[in-house]
Amino acid sequence: MTFTHRSLISELRALITIAWKEWVIFKRYPSWVIAIVIWPVLFPVGYIFTAKALGGPAGVDLAAFRALAGTEDYVSFIVIGSILWMWLNMTLWDAGLQLRNEQMRGTLESNWLCPVWRGSILIGSSLTKLATSLFCLAVSAVEFRLIYGIRLASGNPALLALVFLLVIPIIYGIGITFASLVLRFKEANALVFLVRGVFMIFCGLTFPIEVLPGWMRSVAACLPLTYAIRDIRAAILTNVTLAELMPDLTILAGFALAMPALGYILFLATERRSRRTGDLGQY
Amino acid sequence: MSDRMVIAEPLPNDTLAATTPRHSNGSAPKRPDIVEVRELRKVFVKRTKADVSGWRKLLPFGTRTTETFTAVQGINFSIKEGEIFGLLGPNGAGKTTTIRMLCTLLQPTSGTATINGYEIARQANLVRQHLGAVLTGERSIYWKLTGRENLEYFAALYHIPPLIARRRVSELLERLDLANRADELVERYSSGMKQRIAIAKALLASPPVLLLDEPTIGLDPQSARNLRELILEIKREERTILLTTHYMEEADLLCDRVGIIDQGKIIALDTPSNLKSSIKQLDVVQMEVENLDPALTDALNQLPAVRHVVSRYSDAERVWSLALHADDSRGILPHLIELIGSRGGQIRHLAVAQPSLEDVFISLTGKQLRD
Repeated sequence: MTFTHRSLISELRALITIAWKEWVIFKRYPSWVIAIVIWPVLFPVGYIFTAKALGGPAGVDLAAFRALAGTEDYVSFIVIGSILWMWLNMTLWDAGLQLRNEQMRGTLESNWLCPVWRGSILIGSSLTKLATSLFCLAVSAVEFRLIYGIRLASGNPALLALVFLLVIPIIYGIGITFASLVLRFKEANALVFLVRGVFMIFCGLTFPIEVLPGWMRSVAACLPLTYAIRDIRAAILTNVTLAELMPDLTILAGFALAMPALGYILFLATERRSRRTGDLGQY
Repeated sequence: MSDRMVIAEPLPNDTLAATTPRHSNGSAPKRPDIVEVRELRKVFVKRTKADVSGWRKLLPFGTRTTETFTAVQGINFSIKEGEIFGLLGPNGAGKTTTIRMLCTLLQPTSGTATINGYEIARQANLVRQHLGAVLTGERSIYWKLTGRENLEYFAALYHIPPLIARRRVSELLERLDLANRADELVERYSSGMKQRIAIAKALLASPPVLLLDEPTIGLDPQSARNLRELILEIKREERTILLTTHYMEEADLLCDRVGIIDQGKIIALDTPSNLKSSIKQLDVVQMEVENLDPALTDALNQLPAVRHVVSRYSDAERVWSLALHADDSRGILPHLIELIGSRGGQIRHLAVAQPSLEDVFISLTGKQLRD
């Protein structure tokens, strides 16, 4: 008789333990301070000063920008875009590489040998990545307030929270999809550059997407981050109402359901393939 | 989520029951088979770049061809409760592929196997509940966690209730002589200690079956000896152990029965003593020779009554080791010594030895385990 006793509670306990393990390992690498505290401040600086130069002295040339973006506050505009991009970037490197990291460490097979639900392994470590990413975003918000004078909590906080709730499953859906692809192709760098490059160019990270040519705007309309960035900017920088954002929020809700589902389907397909080819333990 | 342990039953398998008698001659019941492997086969499909010439060599993408490689060729064996069963064979023989199929990491191409009555393909999760496995040894645990944290983590993944898990972790740490280092990071452990944590992890759920893939590989002699003692201790708890090894001494020392595997096929299966007895009529002559002409092994093979000659050169000692199987060593020894001497070789050591499992392997395949 083994001590194994599988139930819903034991599965939840496993999930929390996986999240705990990820956290313990994360904090034992001192470089986490750079990731959480220093990088968020440095990242948007280049874009902000570029915008400052283009805007002319005291922002005299900002009229065109205001016409397209609906705000003159280009610093907040850029910071919001860069925060979303930074979040996606962290998710691609952390959650997206979690299975690959386990594979390279040699521990992926150990986890696979356990009778735990495979989804727990994926979700458990994503939970820690989510917590650290949100903490990083919170630290960024405080730093932006202190350094650039940006108040990210202004505007419509309830609407902002709603958009954020929809963005979380989208970002982690992309992360899970990415994790499965990396496990399949055993190469992360090229995939990270490709995915984040696409989002950076098409989603209006530091500029209003209205400046893009028509075909690029069509591509942008297919990417969830386009809506996420636009809605978060609207919720913070303008007095937009829920009704006005409803069409975008409906699209975001669709992505919030579709992306995790796509990620999980791809994950199951990758697992089945690994059982056939035996490449789970190969690095 | 339902409690699968309660609702699931082992799959009936009439074929297995028919081919594996549980009692013999109405006498005392034999121990039942806890692992049964029938016609297990694994074929890997490999896509390789076609051989192209000229400018096409420079292209990153080219025509690809598909090749198949049969790693395991329809093997059969069963293991009784409480037995240590060894799969002995050289690297690439199919040992690890077999063990990976049994622990559900790899899907068989055909054939079937059951662990404690559960079928590996259809009841994979139940199989995982009833076995512990050590596959990649020290790399199978987290080096940035302590020994205790590792075990507590895997206990949760085995769905062991927290109170039992804490007690079990302490027991195992104590038993494997790791209690005083339990709260240190694993990265500070020696290889032997890491391997013991990996074994403790496999024992956490108290599984009836343990799969150990090359458990002593890379360990220093003392750690390997300690680990072998531990494996014997685990056997005394009536657990069943399947281990793979290419060390014939290890198989001889630990295993109740040994399956000799080569090129994906089990070519002999019996107790170590029976396997050795099967070639007892052969004399095994072991020699160490300096300045041996490598071509001489062919000449030695031509001597009357010689069945096999295998040779290996040691770079470190600059000496050739020869193992020669013959029907009558007394008859051939004078010829042997004369032939080697005539070609400038100097015999440093010569002994007529008892056959080992390696000799069994040589007599079956004509090559050494470490070829």
